[in-house]
Amino acid sequence: MKTILGIAVFLLTSMLPIYAQRGNTQAPTSPVTGSAANGKALYYSYSCYACHGYNGETGRAFVGNWSANLANEENFIRFLRGRANVAPLTPSTSMPNFAENTLSDKQAKDIYAYIRTFKNAQPDLKNILLLNQIVEDASKPSTR
Amino acid sequence: MAKKNGSLNRRGFLKGAAAGAAASAASLVTNTSPAEAQRGGNAAAPVPAPTQEQIARDAGVVRPPATVRAVQRPGSDLMVQVLKDMGLEYVAGNPGSSFEGLQESFINYGNPPNRMPEFITALHEESAVTMAHGYAKAEGKPMIALLHGTIGVQHAAMSIYQAYYDRTPVLMITGRDEGFIQAHTAHDMSAMVRSFTKWDAQPRTLEESLTALQHAYNEAITPPMGPTLVVLDTEFQKEEARELKVPAYRPPQIAGIDAGKAKEIAEALLDAQNPRTEVRRLRTPQGVKLSVELAELVGASTGTGATTGPMSFPQRHPLCGPGASTAYDYTLGLEIPAAQASIIGPGLATLLARDTANVGFGGIVPVAGGRGARGGAGATNAAAIQADAEASLPLLIEEVKRQLTADKRRVIEERKAKHAEANRKARIEAITQAVETKRNGWDSSPVATARIYAELWPLIKNEDWCLASPSGFSGGHHVQLWDHNKPYSYLGGQGAGGMGYGAPASVGAALAAKSRNRIVINIQTDGDLNYAPGVLWTAVHHKLPMLTIMHNNRAWHQELMFVEYMCGVRGRGTDRGHIGTSLRDPFIDYAKMAAGYGMASEGPISDPSKLAAAFKRGLDSVKRGEPYLIDVITQPR
Repeated sequence: MKTILGIAVFLLTSMLPIYAQRGNTQAPTSPVTGSAANGKALYYSYSCYACHGYNGETGRAFVGNWSANLANEENFIRFLRGRANVAPLTPSTSMPNFAENTLSDKQAKDIYAYIRTFKNAQPDLKNILLLNQIVEDASKPSTR
Repeated sequence: MAKKNGSLNRRGFLKGAAAGAAASAASLVTNTSPAEAQRGGNAAAPVPAPTQEQIARDAGVVRPPATVRAVQRPGSDLMVQVLKDMGLEYVAGNPGSSFEGLQESFINYGNPPNRMPEFITALHEESAVTMAHGYAKAEGKPMIALLHGTIGVQHAAMSIYQAYYDRTPVLMITGRDEGFIQAHTAHDMSAMVRSFTKWDAQPRTLEESLTALQHAYNEAITPPMGPTLVVLDTEFQKEEARELKVPAYRPPQIAGIDAGKAKEIAEALLDAQNPRTEVRRLRTPQGVKLSVELAELVGASTGTGATTGPMSFPQRHPLCGPGASTAYDYTLGLEIPAAQASIIGPGLATLLARDTANVGFGGIVPVAGGRGARGGAGATNAAAIQADAEASLPLLIEEVKRQLTADKRRVIEERKAKHAEANRKARIEAITQAVETKRNGWDSSPVATARIYAELWPLIKNEDWCLASPSGFSGGHHVQLWDHNKPYSYLGGQGAGGMGYGAPASVGAALAAKSRNRIVINIQTDGDLNYAPGVLWTAVHHKLPMLTIMHNNRAWHQELMFVEYMCGVRGRGTDRGHIGTSLRDPFIDYAKMAAGYGMASEGPISDPSKLAAAFKRGLDSVKRGEPYLIDVITQPR
């Protein structure tokens, strides 16, 4: 019993900070074995896009903020399954749990493969005139 | 009170008229003869254009020929005169037989008729009240919502609840007709909504009706502000008023702090080395002006609520920000708790006795350490002075001026210069950090919500604009990217989180904007618009300056995420989480929806590079008095 409790405490104390902390700006390079084409359909049907955007660039974005949970397939699957231990009535994150009976390892790998196709497509800030203009305006007295 | 002969005559009239109604109605709208209409012929013939005479009549330019009228001075004319005397600009409603006498006076009484107030055609009572809600948040004063007996009041119930929870003044009038349709009559009409109206009355005479309207207006604008309801019997609307006089209007006396408190606070502000004012939601634009005057007089750095709601300190004022030092030695809160002194008007908790249905409304009942009376969140370090902050400011400013010396003025001017420079730097730093995240998904398709706000800003920054729709579901990107310098820059949330608010509140704000050369921006979530989209027609019909940009994520995404989480908790998979939360199969075409209501529109747009040109077309249209809708397919958040 103590062991189980210990594992649960470990998961809670080790995984949550990983999820919350700032991730790597560089995309992972680990091997991908799933099908990105299948993963694209699953990413939509399992509503991953609802929180992470259609391209992984908005909301709780992956791109430019690659969590350790996305470092490789094993971490990704462990993370999906581990959500069961997050207290459901007072969740500390809004990431749902994905039990194996509802999303197989193969399907999870397919989703992972699709996520890995996401590219950092946002331009450098210096190339976005609109946003630069907004910063410049901030230094001026109010226009109205 | 003269009772009419009963409802049979009227019902008999209606029954007789109904027989030929179908055929003659068809002939009216299709230019088809009644005989043809009965045969179903020529149904697609065009609607005849109104004649010049009809247009002149609609505009009130031409009066009908004088005829002998049954009633020379109907009671409803006096009711409308009372409303004119109080300066009410608009009355929104859809027709109901319980107020036909009053409606006739609205559109025909006065010179010119149908002005102050002007009749605004709503398509749903919920829209009428929410229009008034949006108008009041933009202008700081009420307009009228006109509701049919029982059924109209019930249609309006949710929006009344929102205005109540948002402490926003709305003057509601409903009709009561004992002798017509039983289902549209009640002994105590207001009881259905009493738990969430501030005040109501069901007068027993015409004379009482007139004073009840004045009382209702004053109650609505006295803190805690809220919706009030007057039930007007059809008999009083239609009776001969004879020599009855319209009572003179007297505005309410709203209690501020007393002279002793004003002296004490003024002294503390002037003695402090680094005073600060925290300003949240005041009542009117005049209150905002006074809060600026106070901050400038004492040289206080100031915090604002302008990015979360209306009637607060201008965001780009040189004193707005953390200031040169955050070691404040005296902080005064205006409608928000603060460290040394807080002036906070009465909250909804003072109205608990009206909760006759014992609904409770969790947030209204004061909770120890909680937000309770909605005076504002945050630490309550000093006991709040229970007085309206806006009403307190004139006396406080007078006292500060009386105590100011030349030496203090010099110190204050030096401090203000330091604050201005520090706030400028803080603002640049905050925006520089913000734009770093706003570029996420900059070129993605569907469109990232931040890009909508970023593309729109250069097109409106030199205009007089008002963002009337809640932005919480759309990322709230205006908070960092736009300047909120007017009392109406951002009108804040729904009040009670009820959907169906954005479009009608924006139409209400656009009513306020119309005569003031202002434009209203409505960044409209798709789920919210589908509650009562007919309000788009109202915007077109009344030529309101409103640009609607759809944040069309094809779902109620907040709820989709909640349901998804619950699916995961119960181990049943998230792949069915979209059921009941998404708007697909088919997707809704909002440009076509708007076009159906006569609104100029375009879209759907999912390519971000096409936004700027579309926004410019939309704004050009709005400036011509033609509201415009742009459907943008967006990322979920």
